[in-house]
Amino acid sequence: MNPAPTLANLLVLGVGILLAAAPHVARLPWWVSALALGALGWRAWAAWRNERMPRRWLLYALVVFGIGAVFLSYRTLFGRDAGITMLVLFLALKLLETRTQRDVIIVTFLCYFLSLTNFFYSQTIPTGILMAATVLVLTAALVGFSGPTRPVARNFRTAGMLLAQGIPVMLILFLFFPRVPGPLWGMPSDAYSGMTGLSESMSPGDISALSQSDAIAFRVKFDGAPPPKKALYWRGPVFWEFDGRSWRPGSVPNPGDPQFDPLSPPVTYSVTVEPHNRPWLFALDLPGRVPPGAQLTADFQLHARRPVRTRLRYDMSSFLEYRTAGGSAEALAAARALPSGFNPKALALAGQWARGAGSDEEIVLRAVDFFRRAGFGYTLSPPPLGHDSVDDFIFGTKRGFCEHFSSAFAYLMRAAGIPARVVTGYQGGEINPVDGYITVRQADAHAWVEVWLAGRGWTRVDPTAAAVPLRIESGLAAAVPRGEPLPFLTRPELTWLRTLRFNWEALANYWNQWVLGYNPERQRGLFNRLGMPDTTWQTMAQMLFWAVGAVTVAFALWLLRKARPRDAAHAIWLTFCAKLARRGTARGAAEGPRNFADRAALAHPRAAARIRAIASLYIDLRYGPERDHGGVARLRALVRGFRA
Amino acid sequence: MRSEEVVRGPAGRLHTPRRLATPASARMRALLARSQLYRIFFGVREPETGTIFLSQRRVYILPTRHGVVFGLALVLMLIGSINYQLSLGYVLTFLLAGMGLVSMLHTYRNLAHLYVSAARAEPVFAGDLARFQLYLENPNRFDRTALWLHAGDGAGSTDVAGRSGATVQLPVPATRRGYLQLPRVTIETRYPLALFRAWSYVHPDARALVYPRPADAPLPPARSIPDTGAAVSAGIGADDFAGLRPYQPTDSPRHIAWKSVAHGNDMLTKVFAGRGAEELWLDLAMLPAALDLEQKLSCLAGWVLHAEREGYAYGLRLPGTARAPGHGPAHRDECLKALALHERAP
Amino acid sequence: MILQPVPQFDSKSVPPSSPSGHAGATPIASAALRRVVEQTSKVILGKERQIRLALACLLSRGHLLIEDLPGVGKTTLAHVLARSLGLGFHRIQFTSDMLPADIIGVSIYDRESASFKFHPGPIFSQLVLADEVNRATPKTQSALLEAMEEHQVTAEGESRRLPEPFFVIATQNPSHQVGTFPLPESQLDRFQMRLELGYPDRAAERALLQGVDRRDLIASLEPCVTPAELLALQGAVRQVHVSPALVDYVQALVEYTRRSPDFVNGLSPRAALALVACSRAWATVEGRDRVIPEDVQAVLPGVAGHRLHPVVNGVRRTSSDIAVGLVEAVPIP
Repeated sequence: MNPAPTLANLLVLGVGILLAAAPHVARLPWWVSALALGALGWRAWAAWRNERMPRRWLLYALVVFGIGAVFLSYRTLFGRDAGITMLVLFLALKLLETRTQRDVIIVTFLCYFLSLTNFFYSQTIPTGILMAATVLVLTAALVGFSGPTRPVARNFRTAGMLLAQGIPVMLILFLFFPRVPGPLWGMPSDAYSGMTGLSESMSPGDISALSQSDAIAFRVKFDGAPPPKKALYWRGPVFWEFDGRSWRPGSVPNPGDPQFDPLSPPVTYSVTVEPHNRPWLFALDLPGRVPPGAQLTADFQLHARRPVRTRLRYDMSSFLEYRTAGGSAEALAAARALPSGFNPKALALAGQWARGAGSDEEIVLRAVDFFRRAGFGYTLSPPPLGHDSVDDFIFGTKRGFCEHFSSAFAYLMRAAGIPARVVTGYQGGEINPVDGYITVRQADAHAWVEVWLAGRGWTRVDPTAAAVPLRIESGLAAAVPRGEPLPFLTRPELTWLRTLRFNWEALANYWNQWVLGYNPERQRGLFNRLGMPDTTWQTMAQMLFWAVGAVTVAFALWLLRKARPRDAAHAIWLTFCAKLARRGTARGAAEGPRNFADRAALAHPRAAARIRAIASLYIDLRYGPERDHGGVARLRALVRGFRA
Repeated sequence: MRSEEVVRGPAGRLHTPRRLATPASARMRALLARSQLYRIFFGVREPETGTIFLSQRRVYILPTRHGVVFGLALVLMLIGSINYQLSLGYVLTFLLAGMGLVSMLHTYRNLAHLYVSAARAEPVFAGDLARFQLYLENPNRFDRTALWLHAGDGAGSTDVAGRSGATVQLPVPATRRGYLQLPRVTIETRYPLALFRAWSYVHPDARALVYPRPADAPLPPARSIPDTGAAVSAGIGADDFAGLRPYQPTDSPRHIAWKSVAHGNDMLTKVFAGRGAEELWLDLAMLPAALDLEQKLSCLAGWVLHAEREGYAYGLRLPGTARAPGHGPAHRDECLKALALHERAP
Repeated sequence: MILQPVPQFDSKSVPPSSPSGHAGATPIASAALRRVVEQTSKVILGKERQIRLALACLLSRGHLLIEDLPGVGKTTLAHVLARSLGLGFHRIQFTSDMLPADIIGVSIYDRESASFKFHPGPIFSQLVLADEVNRATPKTQSALLEAMEEHQVTAEGESRRLPEPFFVIATQNPSHQVGTFPLPESQLDRFQMRLELGYPDRAAERALLQGVDRRDLIASLEPCVTPAELLALQGAVRQVHVSPALVDYVQALVEYTRRSPDFVNGLSPRAALALVACSRAWATVEGRDRVIPEDVQAVLPGVAGHRLHPVVNGVRRTSSDIAVGLVEAVPIP
């Protein structure tokens, strides 16, 4: 009853394990992959040559060694990465001690779990497809283990059918299973490594590193027509403090309230931000609304309470033209502070501007003019800068990226006595003609400057736009000189590829919005649309129970339907017999139609003529010389209308 | 359409009528006899004749150990998905849950609505395995895979393709002579995912004849047939002339002694002798009284086989019955059957 | 499940021709058959079912074996059937000293023509009643059975055709009677059908006792069909429709006997053919142009009873018991 698994099925399982573990290989220590592959190979060889499997003590030794090595690699045995490493190790070694089909089935379950762990790292469509294939292969192996005589190809068909038939229940559970927000307990510290995005400080090179990334930062859907591209300044972290090299948020004394007067009607839109493990949310300058669970700082940054670790969607409105309220004296002083002992040439230049100008506005205009004329160039691989980074940039290399421009401009402004701060975020975005979403990528990361002007408040100045207007008007690809490396997909010659990408990303966005983004809020929305607002989880559980039960019963009725005769007349006859059986006259299995009709006619004298007519027509159709299709219809009508 | 139940319920056979005499309790008893619980706890005591239909009421299903482990794995996967907010984790977990649920129906379907009937079982000697055959018929279009049958220690498995039948052999040890009734058979399946086990009990009325275990004993001396005058000598061919006897109407004309007729004598028939003419009587009474009945029967069974092999015409004499001397497989089987059923109610 | 009683057929319960309008076999043929049945029933009282079965057997061009105790009317049945069908009739009383030549005939030297002249035996007749066939020696039996199979006899190296139609109605006493040579299994198979007559019921026996002498009755019988009509009837039997569904049923029955533990051997293909042929004839006798499962069930005891050997489990089972069990065990597909 429990024989050894067949070679073919073991091979199928091996393929399943490889598929489930393949995406992990890049993340696993090399020796784990090697050990697992070795174990797999050993098992395949043992099955193929019918060799004996390793002895138990060797396996135990390997397990102990593996645990030790994992501990040395990760300094822990718990946590996400260490856990997955252990799982892969254990799976490979468990396979080496499987002798019966029952053992192998447990391995298959572990593989299902291993498939799930891939979603810790990626939940994209390709990963989903790969894991769907993995689950199909694993299920085929499982089918093979319980029906060892079947050919492998048919196991795949059965597995596919089982999975397909599982989809209705899956959909019900997915939509109606009560969703719980947030983690159930503290997450391991390594859970969110590897997310990209703007950082908490800005030093030269930070943003240009991001600019090589095609990864999506967030997606936006405007309620009306989107504003022009050059107005799309997505506000992120604001930096006040400069230490000569890096900009930091700093601590602003007495910052006041985030108040401003809107000068234009609001634009409304929704943002779906990718997880980046930082608290800030992005909105167009300036945000006119605060999403639930977030707050607006005095310098108009949107902060979520927790770092954004799952895809987050929120509705926003913004005012593109505005006048901010006056800042406190302490805040303005902080916006003028400069570290001493840096950039003497820049200080001198700023002093020169300040002396020759009548107003702050004039100084700003002169500075912008300077940026426009000084022959700055835009590059994604700027030359290194020395101790006096601003001096080196303005008077030396003249080649840089937005952080160089904004850093230099803010420095010059502060040197000229004008309060200035650096704002990082994203600029622009790409409209996807397929679904109308604007995609903002990490490559769109940008930095600009805000200066304080009396009567106008904080005013945005983009020195990059002044120096390299193409960057803002046409995007990164236009601004960067030919021959420099660009993010692959922003290259202009690949139009067809971009069309393809638009489609793909629309699909991916749909996937994100509706599959991955199905969260407690969306679920609540669904229940509202179903006319059941404020559904408690108890109600949901009840609904779930009944819905799954109904689907199961429907499937059961369909699967367990009686073998239907191929002969239509016979099928109708059986219906007729069933009708009479409900009236207490059941046909014996070996009772011929005429005998049954005679008996039934005796039992139901009032229906006798009809019973005989039906039986006689049935005998004609089933035992008579020619098949008469009109007769079948007549029989069906007679039986349908029959009441005993 | 076949009837749902070929079995007539063994109503009330297990209870003494005195204790449950009132009509109400009788009705209860009848109800009880028809209920599933009754079947589960007491099995179907009476062997069923004819074709047995595994109706849905007769097929039971429960998760296997693997099914429980699978469920636990799903719970773990669900917790992981909740904790890490993995939408695809939910999808995978729920898909596997749906698949498991559907597999339960498939396991059940793999067994339900099957026709089971007993086929022949060849006679065996005690101590051998009686090979019972069960015929499974699949009326449905789908194939039924990996059906396991076991009765006692005997087990067999088969697949039954759609709209066809298959025969399963169930070896059951035959320990004592007489008729061996096929014990209650459990038919079970775990296909397709081994998460659930569906099973059903059938008790078809199948019996195998068990001959006594043949003991190796030297044959008793053969006795010549007195009225033929045939010489008692081993190794003489069957066609050797042995003598004459009066003509009987059934005699072949080829064997009539025409020479003798020509001489005006009465019609005589030539008799040919070989070993076939030696009569060997195997008699229970010939065996030493020290042996018990079973040993004696074993000894006789051994003699029967031996005599058959050696080509004797042998007869069998048991207290109360006798079988005239004869030869051939049919005669041997008759004799062995008489030995098997001696003093044993059929 | 309710066990159905063995289908009981009597002329009254045959339903009128179906409303869908198909008539039975040719009206003349069925009228002739009805006359035969009526006339025979007047002589053999209370045995209409057996008469119909015997008629069906003859119409399917098969030979009939009637097995029962002496004195229940075996010979009379054969006699009456022969008269009613207008067939040339010979009766052979089998005895233990009978030789094949007594049946087939002998060549005797004819002085006038100075040559051997063949004197045909009683087998050269359209209907041969082989009475107490199991009293003859196997040799004589096999001479008869060969003639039955081949429809010709070979004497003195010359084959001679037997008249057409050629039927044998053999009667035999139950084989456990003394002084008998039971027909071997292989030869039993040559008989299309075996019937048991059984004692008449009380009313029939009373009528028998009060009525006229049977011998006088037989003498007064007139043929009900002409030889041409008989041939037409046999042709009609071959035209009776057998649908695939019915073949399924016959196959299910035959397959069941082959795998059932109740029988030593299953039914042979020849037995299956006989079953279909007799069902056709029975349908004709019933006045239908198609075979329905009831027809198969009606002839099954007669066709299968002598071909199946039950594995005796202590209980003696008659052939009709076997057939009833068989009908019960095999659902109509």
